[in-house]
Amino acid sequence: MPAGVLDLLPLAIVASTPLLLAVLGELFVQRSGIINLGIEGMMLVAALCAVLAARGSGSVTLGFAGGVAGAALVALLFGLFTTVLKADQIVTGTAINLFSLGATSFIWREMQAGPALPRMAVDPVVPLAWVVLPLLLALLLWNTSFGLCLRAAGENPAAVAASVRWHRAVAVAIEALLAGLAGAYLSLALSSGFAENMTSGRGFIALSIVIFGRWQVKGALAGTAIFGVAVALQYALQASSYQLPYHLLLAVPYVVTLLILCGVAGRVRAPESLGR
Amino acid sequence: MLRLSHIARTFGATRAVDDVSLDVRPGEILALVGENGAGKTTLMRIAAGELVPGSGSVETRGRVELVHQHFMLVNELTIAENLALITPFRFATRRTLERRAAETISRTGIELGGVSRRVGALSVGEKSKLELIKAISKEPATLILDEPTSVLTPSESAELFEVMRALAARGTAVVFISHKLPEVLAVAERIVVMRAGRVVAETRAAETTGMALAQLMIVPSGPAGSQPAARSRAESPALQAARGRITAIVGVAGNGQTELAARLLEEHPEAAHIPEDRTRDGIIRELSIAENLALRGVDANDAIARYSIRTAGAHQPAGDLSGGNQQKVVLARELGRRPRTIVAAEPTRGLDLEATRFVHEQLRAAADGGAAVTLITSDLDEAFALADEIRVIYRGTLGEPMSPAEATTRVASLMAGLS
Amino acid sequence: MRRLLLAVAAAAVAVLLLALSGAAFGHAPGDLLGILVTGSVGSRFAFEGTLLKSVPLLLTGLSVAVAFRAGVWNIGAEGQFIVGALAGLLASRWGVVASLLAAMLAGAAWSSLATVMRLWRNAPEVLTTILLNFTAIHLLGWSVNGPLRERVAQYPQSDPAGASLPLLAGQLHAGIVVALAASVALWWLIHRTKEGLRLRATGYNPNAARWAGVNVRAQLARAMAISGAVAGLAGGIELLGVTHRLFERFASGYGYSGIAVALLAQLHPLATVLSAIFFGALVTGAGELQRTANISAAVAVLGQAVVILTLIAFDHARRRT
Repeated sequence: MPAGVLDLLPLAIVASTPLLLAVLGELFVQRSGIINLGIEGMMLVAALCAVLAARGSGSVTLGFAGGVAGAALVALLFGLFTTVLKADQIVTGTAINLFSLGATSFIWREMQAGPALPRMAVDPVVPLAWVVLPLLLALLLWNTSFGLCLRAAGENPAAVAASVRWHRAVAVAIEALLAGLAGAYLSLALSSGFAENMTSGRGFIALSIVIFGRWQVKGALAGTAIFGVAVALQYALQASSYQLPYHLLLAVPYVVTLLILCGVAGRVRAPESLGR
Repeated sequence: MLRLSHIARTFGATRAVDDVSLDVRPGEILALVGENGAGKTTLMRIAAGELVPGSGSVETRGRVELVHQHFMLVNELTIAENLALITPFRFATRRTLERRAAETISRTGIELGGVSRRVGALSVGEKSKLELIKAISKEPATLILDEPTSVLTPSESAELFEVMRALAARGTAVVFISHKLPEVLAVAERIVVMRAGRVVAETRAAETTGMALAQLMIVPSGPAGSQPAARSRAESPALQAARGRITAIVGVAGNGQTELAARLLEEHPEAAHIPEDRTRDGIIRELSIAENLALRGVDANDAIARYSIRTAGAHQPAGDLSGGNQQKVVLARELGRRPRTIVAAEPTRGLDLEATRFVHEQLRAAADGGAAVTLITSDLDEAFALADEIRVIYRGTLGEPMSPAEATTRVASLMAGLS
Repeated sequence: MRRLLLAVAAAAVAVLLLALSGAAFGHAPGDLLGILVTGSVGSRFAFEGTLLKSVPLLLTGLSVAVAFRAGVWNIGAEGQFIVGALAGLLASRWGVVASLLAAMLAGAAWSSLATVMRLWRNAPEVLTTILLNFTAIHLLGWSVNGPLRERVAQYPQSDPAGASLPLLAGQLHAGIVVALAASVALWWLIHRTKEGLRLRATGYNPNAARWAGVNVRAQLARAMAISGAVAGLAGGIELLGVTHRLFERFASGYGYSGIAVALLAQLHPLATVLSAIFFGALVTGAGELQRTANISAAVAVLGQAVVILTLIAFDHARRRT
């Protein structure tokens, strides 16, 4: 039903905006040679901080700022453990996800009661995520000295004269900015509120789409769009008269992601020193 | 432009460089020759400021650039991007970078086109040109090239020599580290020979011969003067290791030894393997000695006694042992099951004399017990001490078998590529 | 001995940090610690609760320990736990043994999906196992709302399983014996058999293991299958011993907690027993915190994270000295 798919496109784009932001952020750190499994936790913390900040200030904008600040704190923790303490990136990422899940659930229970959340009048995030940021990030990655060193740091750090650590730190900071926006968008725009574990695996899906998109900004856009349409299709099927089991449809995003991973992972080449 | 005075440097117990003084003058091409481990690279890394000397002083005027034997390139990036990595810029399109790269390349006088190509797709010759361009574009007063021709074809080498001469003519001091004596004689004006960390001779190229240099470089000096025979032109003949014999494959590192070992092990999956890199491929540091041995079903107490492994007990982690004792564990594990084929790569590298002697005895005993032993080594003493026959590997080609007696006269020149 | 001290210290740091974060929201830290302790080990009833929680934690911890020991990133114990329970429910009409065997088989099959994707398509198991967790959660949701929904169809839950584990004392079911036996069996397997030796060799240094005659790919596949089987067993035991029915939030994070359990035990199967009891107490105490002090029981998860991070920091300090 091609017409149906076209109708779904706006929904697909809006619903997968946080995912795209996360994909772009993770793409950036992975290009620099870091694998951050903790992006799931970053988004979750950002989602909570955004709600608290927006409620406290009555301003959506400050809510987004709060989300970014929350993600930055998590990024700091990740950076401290992986670079200063030289801990394994996967173990650290997993611990950070547990930490974020526990901390947000705990704090949310303490601070659940509060004034109503301000509504977002306009939505600048969608064009920002789908047009402005991809362009900026692509330019940064491909047309600047910084991007060049970043990519080289992910491939062969020994061949980079500039400080690899500095480039990776900036990459993690950029990821925190994007994951912060993603988490804030999730709680302020998509769901108007926080809920325990509300990211529900978007971070891991983002990691998979980075691989699917071959660590390219174009690939990230295409991968997220394909994923978004597949998920929107699921909503449409729920609303349709086919009577497909709702809970099985909920599994669609993850199965689609698994298929995406199996469809490409064997044939792509990750940055040479990813995870080391 | 470069003056080294009384430089010394040790790594652990080995004296890599031992009281070396050396002057390099503007506009000259100086060759630094010597065996593996003679200390050439260490000395030059000290000169380039990459290593701190243990004692002695380095005086330089102008920039010193060292081009490493191993490429320091990013394979996933293009030629233009690799060049841009060394010159910071703010913003540039791909096209600008490529234009700048082409300009940089033409300034160096080296031919290298297609700057939009990925470095991973380049031939080794082109990669080494790129490394050279990177170094020259920094306009060094002294340029040091570490084994630049080891991967080049003869015509690529000739091209490189032209560049070196042009640089020298412009006043750059060029230091050329090499094992290959014909090249050294052709391009250098002054030749310094190093052995075991010391300078043993210094001569003008016009006043010496390849054979004389080879004798200076390599310690077991057999009777000189016989005619160097032509290298076998046969397509690297399949290795037929004979039972009960030790065949030594000798050559300067990087002439295809690793590939040869891999091929042999593929052809003989049941072969025992003494790997070149002991800690990466040999022992498992975290497991105990007993467990390392048990992987091949070898009894620990028996092995510790027979191989006199010096340890606090079979349950000590293998990573805590000294290098020699680690190697004994590998030997005990691999030889304990009485293999019919053994491939040993640099089995005594980094070991002390006693441990070396022990490893040799074990390999000899295995051969006497009927095993076919292939010994891949860059240590000629080892080859002469052990081998029943010796073959030289040079640029991936295996020479024909020689008896040790025959090899005494020919091996030095064959390894250096003299024909 | 030193490693034991480090582990105890990490656990203590985690508990203290929890009390302090409670203080940040106006609770008295001393009271919180008191509730944590009395709620987990303060009475016979509380201690039984702790032991009951320790059983699934011990098994998922063992599952993670086996995988990590072999160098396989199985983050999928949660999904394997669920799939094990689903299979256990279906097979429960043939008795406890059949049910638990089915649970193990299903867990192994589910984890092996990740192996297949790894060996066939080079898809990283760290991602595929996580994605399989979400898939399993929704598979469970569909089951208890659809084909497995109780006959009276009142709640989204299954009918009781056709068998249950015998009770030993109070609420304690025989699953605790199975879990302890599994811990001893895995210790024996990993530290006393050739299979375990190969598994550890692969985890420490796959290059050297290969040259020492180990088939590394097969070893990884077997480690992943064993890991999945143990996590599946955990799900089966939780079903037959505690919940007796399946419902949407059946797993409630036991699989992820297994990572903390295994890391605190430094991947040693026998030490995992102590580690599981500690985290069991933490989870039980946190439940009591939620009931009496209205503090989210999720602080237990926070505690797990803090334990892992503290261990990393200690380990770094140890390497530097």
